[in-house]
Amino acid sequence: MTAAFNDEQEVDETLRAVLRDVLGLPEAQVAALDESSPLFGALPEFDSMAVAGLLTELEERLGILIEDHEVDADMLESFGSLLTFARSKTLQ
Amino acid sequence: MMRIGSGPSLLFLPPLFEEMNRTRALLASVMRGLAAQGFECWLPDLPGTGESERALEGVSWQDWSEAAAAAFEATGAVAAISLRGGALLDGAAPARWRFAPATGASLARDLARAGLMTEGGGGYAPSGALLAGLAEAEPAAGGKVRTLRLSTDRGEADLKLEGPPLWRRAEPQNSSELAEAMASDIVQWVRA
Repeated sequence: MTAAFNDEQEVDETLRAVLRDVLGLPEAQVAALDESSPLFGALPEFDSMAVAGLLTELEERLGILIEDHEVDADMLESFGSLLTFARSKTLQ
Repeated sequence: MMRIGSGPSLLFLPPLFEEMNRTRALLASVMRGLAAQGFECWLPDLPGTGESERALEGVSWQDWSEAAAAAFEATGAVAAISLRGGALLDGAAPARWRFAPATGASLARDLARAGLMTEGGGGYAPSGALLAGLAEAEPAAGGKVRTLRLSTDRGEADLKLEGPPLWRRAEPQNSSELAEAMASDIVQWVRA
């Protein structure tokens, strides 16, 4: 797979789509997320099982590989922290 | 092995492990749709899953490959219809229709990750021999193959469909639109 994401907005949209699809969140709730919105531990849908699916789905859609040691509570804490991580992996 | 409908036989190979439970309703809808259009649909239980009397702990990847091959022989299926990891087991089929096929390596990584996150709470305890074989497995190349994926998937496909990745949802859900689109593509492909 080649990284075809050059655009910050595109990564933002992909992350929102993954949250909607993997967690089954309503469109309006996903659209309303901003950088300070808490995720892990704050959304009942976002439990530890969902984290595994979320990471793999992000890998497939963004064409990236996420190492286990990169995954921690800080990275999953908020929409902003997850977005920052996804951009750092995607936009070189 | 579950069977519905009558006509030319299709052998369904479900996703592996937890993904199988999450897509059971979707698969059942696709099978019902095809049965209504004159196909006999078979859904086998791989050793160590479903109605199988064996424990998953004692099952190897080889056992799964052989069970899938035996199911083709037993049903005389004209084609395999697989979802996700099921595509890793369709090599014995004369024709293969695949939805969102996954490599064994990505499924193995998923399992390891889910295991880390749940700290022993997961329901599946595959043996080392099963995991080792899974990690090496790729969908068989060659022959008559048609691949469909979701529009959100960046992988190569003959056709992309709109719909949710139901195999990721912790709460099993169904999508009748997706099931209908899948069944209709299968019918056209088998009859072409």
